[in-house]
Amino acid sequence: MRSHFKGEIQFMKHRRAFFVISGVLIALSIVGILARGLVFGIEFIGGTEIDFHDTGEITIEQMRDALADAGEGEATVQTSVADGATGFLVRSGTTDPQTATDHANQVADRLGLEDSSYQVTTIGPDWGADVTRSSLLAFFVAIAAIIVYVSIRYEFKMSISAVIALVHDLLITIGVYAWTQMPITPNVVAALLTIMGYSLYDTVVEFNRIDENAKQLSDGKHHTYDEIANYSINEVIVRTINTTITSVVPVICMLAIGGSTLRDFAFAMFVGELLGTYSSFAVASQILCVWKCKEPKWAKIAAKYRDTATPAQEA
Amino acid sequence: MAPKRPKSRSKRRLSANARRWVSTLVVLAAVCVACAIAFTPLGTSINQGLDIKGGVSVILTASKSDGSQPSSDDMATATSIVQNRVNSLGASEATVQQQGANSILVQIPGAMDAEAAVQTIGQTGHIEFVRLDDIGDADALLKIRNGQEDVELADGSYTAFMDGSYITKTSVAQSSTGEYVVNVSFNSEGARIFGDVTTELAPTKGQIAIVLDGVVKSAPAVQSAITDGNVSISGSFTLDETKSLKTVLDSGSLPVTLTYSESRVVGPTLGQDSLQQGILAIATGVAVVVVYLFFFYRGMGILTLGSLACFAVLYLGLLAILSKNGLFSLTLPGLAGMVLTTGSAADSSILVLERFREEIRMGKSVKNASISGTKHGIKTSLDADIVTLVSAIALFAFASGTVKGFGLTLALGVACDIVTMFCFKAPALRLLAQHQIEKHPKFWGIEEDLEEAERARSERGAKGGVAYA
Repeated sequence: MRSHFKGEIQFMKHRRAFFVISGVLIALSIVGILARGLVFGIEFIGGTEIDFHDTGEITIEQMRDALADAGEGEATVQTSVADGATGFLVRSGTTDPQTATDHANQVADRLGLEDSSYQVTTIGPDWGADVTRSSLLAFFVAIAAIIVYVSIRYEFKMSISAVIALVHDLLITIGVYAWTQMPITPNVVAALLTIMGYSLYDTVVEFNRIDENAKQLSDGKHHTYDEIANYSINEVIVRTINTTITSVVPVICMLAIGGSTLRDFAFAMFVGELLGTYSSFAVASQILCVWKCKEPKWAKIAAKYRDTATPAQEA
Repeated sequence: MAPKRPKSRSKRRLSANARRWVSTLVVLAAVCVACAIAFTPLGTSINQGLDIKGGVSVILTASKSDGSQPSSDDMATATSIVQNRVNSLGASEATVQQQGANSILVQIPGAMDAEAAVQTIGQTGHIEFVRLDDIGDADALLKIRNGQEDVELADGSYTAFMDGSYITKTSVAQSSTGEYVVNVSFNSEGARIFGDVTTELAPTKGQIAIVLDGVVKSAPAVQSAITDGNVSISGSFTLDETKSLKTVLDSGSLPVTLTYSESRVVGPTLGQDSLQQGILAIATGVAVVVVYLFFFYRGMGILTLGSLACFAVLYLGLLAILSKNGLFSLTLPGLAGMVLTTGSAADSSILVLERFREEIRMGKSVKNASISGTKHGIKTSLDADIVTLVSAIALFAFASGTVKGFGLTLALGVACDIVTMFCFKAPALRLLAQHQIEKHPKFWGIEEDLEEAERARSERGAKGGVAYA
């Protein structure tokens, strides 16, 4: 059937292994989130603003390096021009103004700036509680809409399996953030939403084929739901691999040469894209199969072919 | 597998189809040219947000009218009101942060008219409804009676019977005389108070002054009792002023007076250096993907690239049109949405090509495979696209700021992908399958699939022979 792979890859046979892997990853994520907690960026919790003025010829790279050395590697750096004098606007998650002043002092020393060349002020969050509230509301409405659409277009079991896989991907990505203690910024939130898109897309493509095959397939080789699902995943595997490559390559490039500000963002996308591909066959399809095999129709078929099945086709 | 049609009939049918495919492609080409015109030059035709282009940084200092220091509660309320106002000014994604004890730092992207924005943002927005007989200042009263506009009332010289806190809904409309007005609706408590006052004033045709930040905007005479809680505010506004008034009324009145204390031009929050690196990274990534697609799909790579190019042109054209109307500005989260949808656009090409090759392997002729392959491939990507679209619309409709912008780019990208699927991928592949692909299977990368189909055919023949022996 396929020209790229000889034989069928047995995804369904390794169900237990997939569930164990995912279970462990989710458990680790939850432990990470509870034990280490999430670090939120300045946009969520506020921090301090260091305003450097009359910095002359100093470049943004020099400023960033000096800040990193002073322990402000995560700060947002903006160039600024007021009345013809150049300067930098640095916003950092450091909440204690005294610490921030110390850091600013180190930076000024390193760059040969005068002590009077900067001002430190506290700064509040830009992403207010109501923005978070509306974003969460939007997220849940989106999930509900997906469940409704997939239920109408395919079936309820598929919609729930797809959403479980989606939550799986998001939870593990957030877990990675908890363990690495990288700050969550609005850009990371956008990356998480992107992950939601990838995850669903992959799952729907596989479900589409499973649905089609479950209705029509009669090749005399694939009878049970597990076999049909496995066969369907194999049918779309070349597409899955190619699509993953085309979407992951730009993100890897961003990760490798994209510079510090884009790295956090690219990292979330990278983890999420790989998880999205993985979860479509290792979580979504597996849950769907377990569920569908309980239906009388498919249970009967499974019972009928259990004895006659060749070892390779056993699930 | 569908049985083969008689040759003459299929030929006639296909040529009619071919004409339709060609005309689809021609229309699409025309649309693409229009889009290309819309987005050239690229640097200026698409608005860029604060994180990509930078903008203006403004500090607003808060003070109380009685001279006391604003409390931290006052500042929190003021910041959130300013945030709401900024958000309602469009998809500009400005940032608003409280700075120090009594300032608000607002950063507005370069594409926006910072001065007008600050004016709207800084309005106290305290609206009051005053009976003319409650105004103590005789001088002002005379001016109002004479129909003079924008009469200022001194603090404490009048008593309002209600203020803007009862407003539940506002909308911009045009009155019968062509004047722009803001219609407001009160809650039931407000409607009751307003009803009582108008009932009292109606017999004498008494006037009610509508006062915004101490200035009388209009003073209509009450013709009859208004008990339904719907009132329009007029005052020879321009459309922009009406919209700004609506924004201010929607977000409630500020507990402090904001004065503009400093502004300066700022660079992108992502930093120019990261941006250059980012562009380099994306360009490298795209180059690698292009090489890979050609390596994997050979001649068919042209089709994938063609559809990606077509998608990109449509997408950028759409964004340029929205930018022109102030409805869009590109930020990093928006860029993430664009990267995601470009991914799905590439994916829908891959889906169609894979399905096409699969149907060839199943033994269909190249022509038939191009018809049914694109049909099935498109059906699959359409489903995946609609799921994305559904979530994108939910994000756009319910979220604000960053997440809203992300939803918008995602929804637009999916729409462009769907158009590209129907108007480019399907007709182009089907046209090529008429002659080109069959003639040069090696160039178009389907040689292996044809061989596999042949092998399956002979295998099936052999098996069938055994089974029916």
